[in-house]
Amino acid sequence: MSETDHIEEDLEDLYENAPCGYLSLRMDGRIAKANQTFCRWTGYTPEELLNKRLHDFLNIAGRIFYETHFAPLLRMQGFFNEVALDLLRKDGERFPVLVNAAERKDADGKPLFIRLTVFNATDRRRYERELLKARDELKEFAASLEERVAEATSAQLRSDAALATQREDAELREQFIAVLGHDLRNPLASISAGMRLLQKTKLDERGESFVLLMQKSVMRMAGLIDNVLDFARGRLGGGIMLTLSVQTLEPALQQVVDELQSTHPEQIIKTEFSFTKQVDADPVRIGQLLSNLLGNALTYGAPGEPVTVTAKTDKQFELAVCNKGNPIPEAAMKRLFFPFSRGEVRPSQQGLGLGLYIASEIAKAHGGTIDVTSTSELTCFTLRMPLLR
Amino acid sequence: MMFAHGFGCDQNMWRHVAPAFEDRFRVVLFDHVGAGGSDLKAYDPKKYSTLSGYAADLVEIGEELGLKDAVFVGHSVSAMIGLLASFKAPEMFKSLVMVGPSPRYIDEEGYVGGFKEEQISELLEFLSENHMGWSTAMAPVIMGNADRPELGEELTNSFCRTDPDIAKEFARVTFNSDNRADLGKVNIPTLILQCSEDVIAPTAVGEYMHQQMPNSKLVVLNATGHCPNLSAPEEVILAMRDFV
Repeated sequence: MSETDHIEEDLEDLYENAPCGYLSLRMDGRIAKANQTFCRWTGYTPEELLNKRLHDFLNIAGRIFYETHFAPLLRMQGFFNEVALDLLRKDGERFPVLVNAAERKDADGKPLFIRLTVFNATDRRRYERELLKARDELKEFAASLEERVAEATSAQLRSDAALATQREDAELREQFIAVLGHDLRNPLASISAGMRLLQKTKLDERGESFVLLMQKSVMRMAGLIDNVLDFARGRLGGGIMLTLSVQTLEPALQQVVDELQSTHPEQIIKTEFSFTKQVDADPVRIGQLLSNLLGNALTYGAPGEPVTVTAKTDKQFELAVCNKGNPIPEAAMKRLFFPFSRGEVRPSQQGLGLGLYIASEIAKAHGGTIDVTSTSELTCFTLRMPLLR
Repeated sequence: MMFAHGFGCDQNMWRHVAPAFEDRFRVVLFDHVGAGGSDLKAYDPKKYSTLSGYAADLVEIGEELGLKDAVFVGHSVSAMIGLLASFKAPEMFKSLVMVGPSPRYIDEEGYVGGFKEEQISELLEFLSENHMGWSTAMAPVIMGNADRPELGEELTNSFCRTDPDIAKEFARVTFNSDNRADLGKVNIPTLILQCSEDVIAPTAVGEYMHQQMPNSKLVVLNATGHCPNLSAPEEVILAMRDFV
């Protein structure tokens, strides 16, 4: 050891001016001795501290915790370490400290007094407070996150329930429409069958004209029922259902023409069919579309003038129904394909105004369109749709 | 003889007192929910929002063990818990020993409890906003003392270690409790052990209790502080022996 390494440590000075506070407490908790460092930190003189209780320099929370936690701990294990306390300085300020304590015992293990070492913990406590604050903020954040997740989950559940209700509603609607269709068509079929039987019996001219009128009405009624049901389905969610197949549409179209011709014997329906290619379509629906267009043409067209139905398959499938007569008024053109819209002609012939709407829906379902041109010469409704989907 | 610890530590508070009675009594020790080795899952904030919830636990323990005419020894707030339990199960306890009890900690007109209302608020605030994570942080510190092998792991793990949230609530319930009206209803003999210089239960409180309880005996101990069961067990044992 060289001479420069040798330090003459003054134990008295070490006690008084150590970088920590020293306190000695009697077993009754009263201060017996305090070093200079402790006095400097707290602002009291050694005389002021003497015989005071440690409690007197603690805030109320510290006092209670000292009594309920640290004092018992000291008695139970003979020491405590790193206890966080706030000392009250003479100037009223708080001085955060960490305290270690140990009982000094005699040879028999009987405690004589208590030694306390007090460390300045101002910065550490500030840091701890920040940590606690951060933890609380994190807790808050976690809680709000949980809340948001719970909200989202319940919203999801609600929308799932709504979706399920919607599905149930759709099923109910389908059932309702099917039952309604069945109930409406059945009596109509009976009337139709009855009339066919009636036609086979010998009728006078008046009788035959009545049967014809009635057949016309039945057909019109059947068409209306189809339109109403399709409207209900389309409007209420089901949409127009297609049963697609690839074929020439000629027989389906011819059948519609024949039916309407038979109920409108006084009128001439000319057909120009040129089917060179097959079409991917629902023949029943295309027939329904034609029935609606042709029915209109026969109703609104000039009496005595022929109605022409042309169908061809070039690049696309084209079906046109043309009639002569008054042109469709400009104002009516805009609303032509809206449901419940009607031309302002002959009020006695008014239907529900669903025919063109359903026809355009059928066209749409096939990926096609219906165009209308109306001049004083000729009014034409033309369906154009792709041959294959 | 059933011993109940108060707010702060656990049944180890009785380690120097309880053994002295094992010759004459069957000694029952337990930890309140939230303290020591108790099952924290059993904590129900609603049940333990009053001292009555803790008293119900005490009765449950007594019934489980078939206690009849037992001596109840309660430290600090547990003195009041025992008092409430004696109402719930009149046959269970024949006498009460209260160590450092207080029926009301907050001063009121004509009553000295030792604390101002705002001081208790400060304590609760201190508990909720401050560095009271120490209660869990404490355990590893205690365990880290390899130079004290006599401290078994079980011991170092348990005493004075409380769940911070439960401790906070227990403090709120304890320091806001008011059982002054119950004191007069106690008919069984009661021993009040009053410490000198107890910041938590001042001498005036012990005297008040003695006045309010007709069948009580007040003994003022030389022991100072709030835990004579630790700091002066001999004195406590003597006073208790004399009473039972």
